[in-house]
Amino acid sequence: MKSRWTLLAAGAVISLSLAGCGASGDAGSSSEGDGSIEVQTGLAVDSKLLGTLKEVTNSFQQANPNVKINLVPSTTTYEKDMKVRLASGNVPDIWWTHGWSRDRYSKFLLPLQNEAWAANFNPALSDAMKDDAGAFYALPIDTDIAGIIYNKDVLDKAGVNIADIKTWDDFDSAAAAVKAQGITPITVSGKANGPAGNLTDWIAPGAFSKDELAQLKKGTFVGDKYKTVLDLVAKWRDQGYFNPDYASAATTDMDHALAQGQAAFIFSQNNRVNNALQYSPNAHLGYMPIPSLTGGSGYLVGGEMNAYGISKTSAHAEDAKKFLAYLAEPANESKLAQSAGSAPGLTNATPNMGALQASYDQWMTQAKTTLVPYFDRVYLPNGMWNTVVTTTDSVITKQSSVDAALGQVESDFKSLYGQGK
Amino acid sequence: MPFLPAQQLRPRRTDVAETVITKPSPLPATKPPQPAGRRRRRGGLVNLLYVPALLLFAVFTVYPLISGVGLSFTNWDGYSPEKAMVGLANYTRLFSDDTFRMVLINTVVYGLGSTIFQQVFGLGLAMALDRPLRGRGAARAIIYLPVLVSPVIMGTMYYLLFGYNNGAFNDVVTFFGMDRVAWLSNSTASIAIIVAVNTLQFVGISMIIYLAGLQSIPSEYYEASMLDGARGWKQFTNITLPLLQPAFATSIVLNLIGGLKLFDVIKVMTGGGPGYSTNSVSTLIGVVYFDNQSAGYASAMGVVLFLMIVLFTLVLNSLLNRRRLEA
Repeated sequence: MKSRWTLLAAGAVISLSLAGCGASGDAGSSSEGDGSIEVQTGLAVDSKLLGTLKEVTNSFQQANPNVKINLVPSTTTYEKDMKVRLASGNVPDIWWTHGWSRDRYSKFLLPLQNEAWAANFNPALSDAMKDDAGAFYALPIDTDIAGIIYNKDVLDKAGVNIADIKTWDDFDSAAAAVKAQGITPITVSGKANGPAGNLTDWIAPGAFSKDELAQLKKGTFVGDKYKTVLDLVAKWRDQGYFNPDYASAATTDMDHALAQGQAAFIFSQNNRVNNALQYSPNAHLGYMPIPSLTGGSGYLVGGEMNAYGISKTSAHAEDAKKFLAYLAEPANESKLAQSAGSAPGLTNATPNMGALQASYDQWMTQAKTTLVPYFDRVYLPNGMWNTVVTTTDSVITKQSSVDAALGQVESDFKSLYGQGK
Repeated sequence: MPFLPAQQLRPRRTDVAETVITKPSPLPATKPPQPAGRRRRRGGLVNLLYVPALLLFAVFTVYPLISGVGLSFTNWDGYSPEKAMVGLANYTRLFSDDTFRMVLINTVVYGLGSTIFQQVFGLGLAMALDRPLRGRGAARAIIYLPVLVSPVIMGTMYYLLFGYNNGAFNDVVTFFGMDRVAWLSNSTASIAIIVAVNTLQFVGISMIIYLAGLQSIPSEYYEASMLDGARGWKQFTNITLPLLQPAFATSIVLNLIGGLKLFDVIKVMTGGGPGYSTNSVSTLIGVVYFDNQSAGYASAMGVVLFLMIVLFTLVLNSLLNRRRLEA
C-alpha cells in the first residue's frame, strides 16, 4: 500500500513537471486561453503612444464588446523575445513590426493591401514596406522621418545658421564653431546598441550612386563607398566632435545633453526629441536634412517605425483586422501619430508633430526634401544592423582602423547575404 | 609517558590513512537483513524518485545541448521555419574569425583572471577570518553578501560608480582638480574592471570554501609542527596548502566555470563594447544569435565554449587530483 502511494506521488511530480514544460510549445495565439487578441505593442509602459493606444483600444472595445484586446507593453528585449516566439510557434495575434514588416516578418504576417484603409497608405513608405508585388504586411501608425536633430539655442550661441549647412564641409565648420564654445558638437551613446549605427545609417544613403545601391541590393558589396562613410566618422573622432563619455553614455545621456544645451547635434529618430523635452521643455529643438557625400542635395531618412501586423496563424484574424481598421480611422490614426511625434502613416490623417512640426513644414511640406529609406533595412542583408553598429563604434573608439572595420562589414555582408538566399 | 623527540610526535600522513581505513564501524547492525525481493522493490521505488529530476535535466540541459549541436551545422537565422544544413561551414568560419579569436582570449582572461584573484583573496580572507578576532562573524557576512546580489545589480552599481559625468570615481578625480576619466572607453581597462567586479562579487564563495577547509585541518598538526620549530610560512606551505587540496579543487573549478561563462556583468557595464572588445564568448553568442541572426554560427560558438569548459575542468581536475594523491 505504502509503495502505491509512493508511486502515485512520483507520478504526480512527473506529470506536473511535464505540464510545466509543455505549456509554451503550442502553435497559434498565446491568448487563445481567454479568447482575447494579444497585441505585442512594442511600447514602453510609460510611453505616450501606449497611453493613446490604450484610449483608442478602450473605445474600440466599447463599440465591440465581444472582442477582447490584450495590449502587452514592451520589454527591453522585444526583438529577441519576438524571435524566440516566432521560432517556437508561440506567435501573438498582432505585433509591432518596428521597420521589419516586410523583410523579417512577412512570412509570418497576413498581407493587408486589400483592406479598406490601404487606399490611404502613405506612398513615402512604399520603398520600405511594400514587396515587389505591391503587398504590405502592417498598418503604419506613423511615417518615420528623421534627419540630424539639433539644439537651436546652442547653434545660435555658436553663430551657426542651420539653413547654411548644405554639405558635410558646412557641417564640419558648424561643429568646429560649437566646439569652440566648449560644447560637444555630436553626442552619441556607445553603450546602447544603436546610436553609433545611426551615424552610418544616416550618412550612407548619400555615399552611393543609384547603380551602387542596386548592386548592394543584389549582394555585391561596394566597399570603397562604404569606406567614405567610416572615414567621415573617423575624421569627426579625430577632431574631437564626439562626447568624451561616448563609451559609457546611455541614450538618456544623449537626451539630457541635447536638451540641456550640452550638445548641438544627435543622429537619431525623432522620438528622442520627445524624451529630451522632458528634461527641458523650453529647449528649441529641430531637425535638418542630411548632406550628401557625393555632392547631391540633402535628404531625410525614414520609413516604417510604429506599425502593426496580424499573424497568419491567428485564430482571431477577422477581429484583429477589425481592430486595425479602427486604428486606421483618420481621427485615431492622427491621434496615435501625434503621440509618436511623427507624421501619420496614412494620407487621410492629419499631421501634428508638436515641437518638430516647424521642421516638418520647412523640409517636407515646403522644401519637398527627398525621403530615402533606412540604409541597412533596404540595402544590407537582414541581420547586418549589429555589424553596422559595432563597426562604427569600433572606429569611434579606435578599437579598429577604418580598413579593419570595413573588412568586418564586408565579411558579415557576404556571410549574411549568403545565409538569407 | 616517556619523553619522545618532536619528530616522533609529528603525525605522519600514512598514520592518518591507516587510522581511517582500520576504523571499525561504530554502528552495529540492529535490523535483521531484509529479503532480497523486498530490497529490490524498495530500490526500484527510490530509483523512480530520480525520474522527475532526470526528466527536468533531460529537457532543460540534455535536449538543448543536443539541439544546439545540431543547429551548429545549419544556417538557421534563429526564427524562420526553414533552415538548411551547411556541414562544417560554421566551424571553419570560426577559425578565420578575428572577432571570435579576440573574444576567446577575453574569455580566458575573464576565466583565469577571476579564478586567480578569487583564490588569492579568498584564501587570504579565509585565513585572516579563521582566527579568533572580534567581529569576524560580521566580517565574513559582509564579504559573503555580494554573492547574494544579482550580477546585474552588481554590474549596474559599478557602472554608475565608473560613470563619466556622475560617477563617484570621477567625483573624486575632479575633487583633486584632475580631468574626468572615461574609465570604460578603454577595452583593457574595461576588462580589468570587469574582472575586478566579478572577483569582488564572488570572492565570498572562495572564502567560505577555504574557511571550511581550514576548519577541517586538525589543530594537532600545527601544534606538532610548532614543536618542530615550524612557524608561519613553513606551516602554510607544509600543512595548510597540502591539506586544502580538496578545497582548492572545488573553488578553482567553480570559479573557473563561472568566469568562462561570464555574461551579466559584461552586458550591464560595457555591453561588450567598445566594438566587440570586451565581449566574452557567452555575450558574443547572444549578439550573433539574436542581433546578427546567425543562430547556426552562434551555436557553433556555444559548442566550442562547452568543449573549452569541459577541457579546462578535466585538465584542472586531473592536475589537482594528482597533486592531492602526491600530497
